[in-house]
Amino acid sequence: MSEAVKKAWSDQDTRAVSEIVQQAASSALQGEIPPAVTEDQAKRLRETLASALATEVALDVRRAAHAFFEEERRREKDAAKERAKAGKDADMVERLSLHVRLQHMVLFSSCILLILTGLPIKFHEAAVSVFLIDIMGGPDVTRVLHRIGAVALTFIGLYHLFYCLAFEEGRKTFGQLIPKPQDAKDALHQILYFLGIKKDRPLFGRFSYVEKFDYWAVYWGMVVMITSGYILWFKDVTINQFGKFVFDIGREAHSDEALLATLAIVIWHFYNVHFNPHKFPGSLTWLNGKITLREFKEEHPLEYEEWKASHDKGSTP
Amino acid sequence: MTGTSMLRLRRILWAGLVAAAFATAAYAQEDVRCLSCHGKPGFRKTLPSGQVLELFVDPNLLRLSVHKDKHCVDCHADVSEVPHPTTPQPVNCRRCHYNGNTSGAPQLAKYLEFERSVHGKALAAGNPKAPTCQDCHGGHFILPGSDLRSRVFRTNIPQVCGTCHLKIFAEYEASIHGKALAKGNPDAPVCTSCHGEHNIEKPEEKTSTVNPGHVANTCAKCHDKVVIMEKYGVNAEQVATYEESFHGIANEFGVLKAANCASCHTAHDILPPSDPLSSVNPANIPKTCGKCHPGANANFANGRIHIDAKDKSAGIVYWVALGFKILTLSTLAGLFIHIGLDLYRKIRNHQKAGGAKPGAPSSEIQP
Repeated sequence: MSEAVKKAWSDQDTRAVSEIVQQAASSALQGEIPPAVTEDQAKRLRETLASALATEVALDVRRAAHAFFEEERRREKDAAKERAKAGKDADMVERLSLHVRLQHMVLFSSCILLILTGLPIKFHEAAVSVFLIDIMGGPDVTRVLHRIGAVALTFIGLYHLFYCLAFEEGRKTFGQLIPKPQDAKDALHQILYFLGIKKDRPLFGRFSYVEKFDYWAVYWGMVVMITSGYILWFKDVTINQFGKFVFDIGREAHSDEALLATLAIVIWHFYNVHFNPHKFPGSLTWLNGKITLREFKEEHPLEYEEWKASHDKGSTP
Repeated sequence: MTGTSMLRLRRILWAGLVAAAFATAAYAQEDVRCLSCHGKPGFRKTLPSGQVLELFVDPNLLRLSVHKDKHCVDCHADVSEVPHPTTPQPVNCRRCHYNGNTSGAPQLAKYLEFERSVHGKALAAGNPKAPTCQDCHGGHFILPGSDLRSRVFRTNIPQVCGTCHLKIFAEYEASIHGKALAKGNPDAPVCTSCHGEHNIEKPEEKTSTVNPGHVANTCAKCHDKVVIMEKYGVNAEQVATYEESFHGIANEFGVLKAANCASCHTAHDILPPSDPLSSVNPANIPKTCGKCHPGANANFANGRIHIDAKDKSAGIVYWVALGFKILTLSTLAGLFIHIGLDLYRKIRNHQKAGGAKPGAPSSEIQP
């Protein structure tokens, strides 16, 4: 071996040298130091061996560290996912579908148009009515605008009926909107809570009695306004068919229900979604359909529980 | 001219002169000259057209008129020679009747109103049928409008206007207003009550009292006065109920094609609904409404036209209005109470929580 080493050294064959060293090193690890190796060779061998070991260790350390941090990062990611799944209070949850939001948008756009072009007729003595009619282009223009609003309102009314019948979501939502004895209990409970007699609030599901009231008030209003509106629009037909008094009833109902609906919207609906100290200056639910998780938990705790259960299940792979 | 007639004329003239001398010192010599011809009854001229021009002037009537102190040439200022070399022109009343005159005429400028009126415009345009002052006020026997004998006394006005507006006069005579006037009713409206006097304008003019936009106001001069209407059993609310109707509101906002009082009740031959000839008699309602609502049938009369929903006379409409009133008030009361209680609870919770910012996420609203 020493001859081979000598030759390799003299040939400057580093590959051969390193092979020999490795062989020697492995023999050395097994406790066999080749007898032919000189003191000098043995020293060099040990140095090489030490250096190789150090490199190995360093690599191991690096690999281990990498794995450690990798693991750490992964765990953190999982935790974040977990947290997101559980939801934070400020997180937004979509509660109302685009389908519903679009219906609401058509509804309130046509209502605003109808109120702006209609109420000035009811309150014709007021200076602001004259001003409103004037800036909209006079009575001949507002008459047309009012009828455009009427057609839009009729359309969305009929479309909603179609939605409640033909769509799974519509059927489900309509079912959830039907008043039940629980709503009366909830209303009483809520009043008692307001008065301080009960310490806890009633637990609402998808629609509280307040929302159900809103929905059915609109239902009643739509039926009255659309029916009486068409009686007025096609006045000659209605008078010829049923008599002048039918037109008069239509006019009285149209005028009175218009005021009731406007006041209900301005006072009640605006309070609930705009001026309520917890909502001011207004929620964007009409636009994105979302409410915060905090509101969700507070205002619809039963629906929230249901949502959470299905949400957790749905997100499990 | 015979001697006896000359004698008689002289006697008359002398008698007139003496009477005038006692009556007024202004009865002057030149009037005698005029009356030497014009004071003869039957003094007239036949124009080439065949029209007979009555030229007799009864001096006694002039002496009884508001112009008793005036002489012939005060008004007929273009007359200076007898016989007249040129045809005397119609009298121009504006010589005296203007604001600031010194001749003792009333300090009024009615002629300015007249100039802006439909009659004044027609006259200025050269319409030979256009009336002048004299056509209404008369020539020599002009009396104040308060004098029963005056042509422009209230009860005489329809005849005066009817001189030209014959068909309308006939309609008016047959109307409830005309009949009431004939009975001497002091409340009955005459032509000028609605149309104005010197300032009469076409209905098309925006400032006319009978413009579609002003008809309701004009009728309301009497028809919303309970004091007047209760005498005749007419509802004084008719103007108010019209103003609340779609017709009235459209009219108020300037849609003049919308019906006004006269659209249904007519302008001149207004009759009570009980009269079969009335445009608002139930039998005639389809025709009247049909003017604007083509195809209107008898059902247009099925229900009241002037409706006051606050009055029980409105029938079922009254009950509908009452129902909605109750519904509205009770709903709003409920909503206000609910909102009030909600706010009360929020404030109490807020106080208990030690004044944390309301609306902020906090435990105070947690169940």
